[in-house]
Formats: sequence, structure tokens, C-alpha cells
Amino acid sequence: MDRRAFLELLAAAPLVPAARAGSAVPSYRAVSRFAPAAVPGMPGPWPGRVVSVRSPRCLDEAGTLVDADVVREMTDRGMRALTGETTALGAWRRFFEPRDVVGIKVNAGGGPHVVSSPPIVAEICRNLVAVGVPASSIVVFERFRDQLEGIGYPAHLPEGVGVFAAEAGNERTQNRAYDPETYVDVDFFGEEDTRSNMMRLVTGRLTKIVNVPNMKDHGATGVTGCLKNVAYGCFSNVARSHARGQTHTLTAVGTFAAVEPLRSRCVLQIMDGLRAVWHGGPFARTTRYVFHPRRILFGTDPVAIDRLLLDVIDDKRKAEGAISIWDRSPKHLRVEDADARDADPDVNILIREPGHVAYASHLGLGTADLARIRVEEIEV
Amino acid sequence: MISAVLAAVIPALYWAQPVETAPAVRQAGIERLCVPPGAAAAWRAAGLTVSPLGDDERSRRTTLGPVGLRSRPDLASASARPWVFANGWRFQRAPGGRYWCDAPTGRAALAAAEAFAYGADVVLAIDPSDLEAFGRMLAFLSSVPDSALRPAADVAVVDDGSPTVGEVLNLMARRNLLFEVVPREIPDGLLNVRVGSAEFPRKDARDPEAFALSVRHRLTDERRSLRIFGSEVVLARLLRDAGHARLHLLNYGGRPIDGLRVVLRGSWAPVEARVFGESAAGAEELVASGGATELTLPTLGPYAIVDLVSPPRP
Repeated sequence: MDRRAFLELLAAAPLVPAARAGSAVPSYRAVSRFAPAAVPGMPGPWPGRVVSVRSPRCLDEAGTLVDADVVREMTDRGMRALTGETTALGAWRRFFEPRDVVGIKVNAGGGPHVVSSPPIVAEICRNLVAVGVPASSIVVFERFRDQLEGIGYPAHLPEGVGVFAAEAGNERTQNRAYDPETYVDVDFFGEEDTRSNMMRLVTGRLTKIVNVPNMKDHGATGVTGCLKNVAYGCFSNVARSHARGQTHTLTAVGTFAAVEPLRSRCVLQIMDGLRAVWHGGPFARTTRYVFHPRRILFGTDPVAIDRLLLDVIDDKRKAEGAISIWDRSPKHLRVEDADARDADPDVNILIREPGHVAYASHLGLGTADLARIRVEEIEV
Repeated sequence: MISAVLAAVIPALYWAQPVETAPAVRQAGIERLCVPPGAAAAWRAAGLTVSPLGDDERSRRTTLGPVGLRSRPDLASASARPWVFANGWRFQRAPGGRYWCDAPTGRAALAAAEAFAYGADVVLAIDPSDLEAFGRMLAFLSSVPDSALRPAADVAVVDDGSPTVGEVLNLMARRNLLFEVVPREIPDGLLNVRVGSAEFPRKDARDPEAFALSVRHRLTDERRSLRIFGSEVVLARLLRDAGHARLHLLNYGGRPIDGLRVVLRGSWAPVEARVFGESAAGAEELVASGGATELTLPTLGPYAIVDLVSPPRP
């Protein structure tokens, strides 16, 4: 062994039976010098448990404005229910201590209409500060600066909270914010650059991560929720996993999310379901496909929350008369034709892989079996 | 098969602008240039060293393609990867050739670096707006010490002179598959690639992109002397002997790349990294792992050269 103690694992090798029959599973090689925590953040101390807090008052009637006071109440109720603590402070202390450096992984890809809501992110920051985490030890982060800047988080956050993006945009010219020694090496389609590297922020600075995805449809994965927000949101060079109508997200999402230290440090999942997207995701450039679940989901198990999300999005699509996220028919496939996809909810640009959620459960990231997922519904 | 040792060749500038531009040429640090024969006397009178280059000489030179990255909306998408136009494979195929290159606007420095990296005899006609950048590149190239290292290769490609093999070479170079061009298969341990052999049927070469990929798979990534991570538009040329190596890195993307990761098979230590446009450059984050050496180049403009040594074993 060289100066580092590499932990190499062939993540997918034992999981071939879990993959879709007839589809070749790429050979993944995860390289990391980090050992897992005694209790990895995912699925954390409450596998299979989800608290769903709904409030009709969290948005105005048009779904445009967020009521920060209601969000605070929803967050308090959700965190207390998840942890069993009697106070919000006690609940947050179950996860964080003053010496932590906490990253808040937002989702800015659904701008302008469906992104991690600034009032929710602000509420998370407020609670972290209450626990004793200095504002300067809190970082709101995302991969692309051009997506982050349009949201304007700083105006909502306590002074001193950092906002960080790894790259200016999705141009594949900026690699310095990624750790060259922590990566997944996989050849999806014969590409030469077969490495996806984890953000240095995650490997080098953060001790804990709060994951704040949205409820969104996704053209490759079926939905994009907790798993994809951290997996594809903390690694470089991931778009290569889908091309020409085909995607390897079935196995890639869980495999990336399972790499240390990401898996251990991602300790809390708070899914922003105030607004959602039922088609055209992960983007939300128009309001045509936006709807308003007016919910926030809390948990430590990203698989369980994403399993619920699959039904949220698919039920909405059914209600709108659109094809299911599970549809694999070639007749609905218009390869690389994003305009057609945006115009017609019955058009896919890739064969979607909603099975990525179940696949992630086989990697030990959580519970995908609905019979074993316990949901506590709270109305505020 | 022994490859030719490369000699450093500074590419020549062909300058058809009037002699009144002499101050600008000097300002760019250029003292030698090729000019139309009818203008040679005037340029000499202006104090520059010139070589007349007429239409005859120009027509005797092989015209190169325009270097850089281009979209090809006229072609169906054979690959999601960017279209890189590079000439290194041509230089390797005909190392003694004499070439002419009309460098696209904004690509003069890259074209000069490409010619230098392959030791090719190239005359470059450039857009006048590129004069300053071209001059800086010539100064950079002039500062690079000569090297007697030989090109590294993992694959021997039998060249029958056909356009088909030419496209195979082009797309292997595009993948940074290090090859040597040979007249017949060789027995010295390289992977032999002969279009039309049982392993590499001629019909497969009709899709040269897929053919190059099949060569990669046959070779395996583990046996490759060089890998590049962090970009799909950087092509490399590796020269080496048992104790020294020189790596040329050419960025065809037109934009700087931060944090390019290079993996070289074997045990190497960087001695010096020269990065065009960067006064203080260096290779960083050196890691030895799995029989290979990894390093990061913090930033890469159009061109960089990394010299390495194989450290003494303990």
C-alpha cells in the first residue's frame, strides 16, 4: 500500500442480480481513504422512518410565496417527531454539535420555480446556530454557481454562512474543487474520462451534511430526490451516465451515494415538497408542470423518502393523464429531444430508471420496501 | 522497431502582411519569419531574418486541418464526445513530412504548440490578431530544453497508407491511446493492430470511433502508459526512456482547464512543469498507487510540458 490507505471496493460486483434483467451493470471502482462511521449517516439511526409534515398555509394560494413562520413550525414538528425529542433544540442536538462543520446540500437545478426553498434553508441554519454551530461553520453548497446565484440564498441566511459552488457551470473545465483521491471510476459508454470525483468540501471540510432535495420528476432516474441530490450533486463528471436514450442511473445513483465519506456524513434528509415538478425534471423553467404538495419530509433514510417520492410523482402524472415514470416503451422515447419532452408529458428522452431507489436499498442505504416504511403524517 | 528521436523544432511563421507591420512583429518577439518572395527584400531591410516562401513551396507542403474544437451540425452524432481537430496523428504517420497550417483565429498558439510537441516541420499562417499570442508561444517553446527521449507507445498500428487506417490513428490519438506507426506487425510486446486481421476486421474500421474503443478494450486501461482525467479535450504526447519522461499536454478546448489529473504507468517524480501562460507552475498532489503515478496540473491553457524522472528505488 502506498502513503494512503486506499479502500477500494467493487461496489456493483455482488449486486448484479438486483439490476434490471438484460442490462449490463457497469464495473464500478470506488476509491476512498475514508472509513465508514460506526453508524453511517445513511440510512442513519431511523431506517425506514419518514415524518411527513403538511401545511396548506406554507404557501400562498398561488404557490409563489413561502410563509417562513409556517415553515418554522413544520420544521420543529417534523424534527421533534423524527427524534422523539420534546424540543426542537433537543432534536437538532441529536445530529449536530458546536464543533461540527455542516454542509447544506441544496438543489438549485430546478430554477426558477422549484429549488430548495430559501426559508427552509434559513430555518436549518437558524437551528444549527441554536445548537452552537458557528455561522462560519455552515456552508450551503451545490455544484454549479450559475444555478446558485439565481436563487439568492445569502439574503435569507444568517451573516457568516457560506455559499459554495464547485464549478461556475456545467462546462467540465473546473476540477479543482474535487478531490483527486476520492472518486468512482466507471466506464459507462466508452468515454475516456472515467472518473467522477467527490467534492473536496465533503472530503476535506464538512463533518456533517443536511440534504435538502426537492420533489421532482427526472428524465433519467424517474425522480430526483435525496439519493440523486447527494450522489450527482457531490461528484464531478456524472452527466456522462446517460447518453443516446440510455442511462446507467439505475446503478450509478446508489453507488455514488454509498462512497465514503459522503455516506457517513450525510446525516439528515429534509425533502422540500412545498412545490414539486411532475414532468420535465430536473428542470422547472416554466410553471406548466409545477404542483404544490405543501409538504416537508424528514428522515435519515434517503431510500425510504425517495420511495415515497416515486409515488408522489407517479400519482400526479397519472392524475394528469401522463405516462408513468415506469414506462419503458420505445414509442414514448424521443432521444435527446428536450423540446419534445418539454412540450409533451408523454415523451421521454431516456428510458427512466426509477428502480435506482430499490437498487440503493441493496447497497444498504435504506429501506425501499413500502411495507417496512413507517410514515408519520403531521398536519400543521 | 525503434522510433525516431524527436528533435525540437520551432514552427515557422508565414506572414503575408505588409512590411509596415514589422514593429508589431518585433513587438511580439518574432525575429524570423517566412514571407512571400516578393516581399523578402523589404523585410530584410527592416532588419528581420526572413525565408522567402512561394506558392511552389507551399503547394509541396501537406496542408493540415484546423486545430481546435468544433461542433459538427452537418454530421449525425456518432459520439457525444466533443469533436477535436488535431494533427498529431498525421505527424506520427509521416514524421519527416513538411506541413502547412492555416491556423484558425484564436488557435495560432495551440497550432504552434502542437507542431512543437511532435517535432514537426510546420509553417503556420496565422490571423494577425493572434500575433502577440503566437509570439509568446514561440518564446515559451524556445525556452524548453531539448530532449532526446523517444515516443512512448502501447500499441503498434500497421499502416497501409489508407484513409481507413488514417481515421483509426486519428481516433486513437483522440483517446490518448499511445501508438507507434509500423509497416508490419512487430514482436516486441506492444498490442499489434492491423486493420483486416482476425482481431481487428476491416469492416469494424468503418466506424473508427468504435474501432478505437475496441483497441482500448483489447489493450485494457490497466496497461495504458497514460490516462487523462478532468477533460475530454486534452491530447497528450509522452516521450520517455528508463529514467526520464516528458509529457506534452495540448488543450484543444479553447478554455483553460483547472485541475487536470494525469496518470502515468510506472514510478515517476515531476521535475518541472512548464505551463504556457503561467509563471509559477508545478505539478501537485502526487500519488503513487497501483503501479502508477498520479499528479495534478493546477491549470492548463493551450499547452504544458511536464518533465519527470523515475526515482531511484530504495
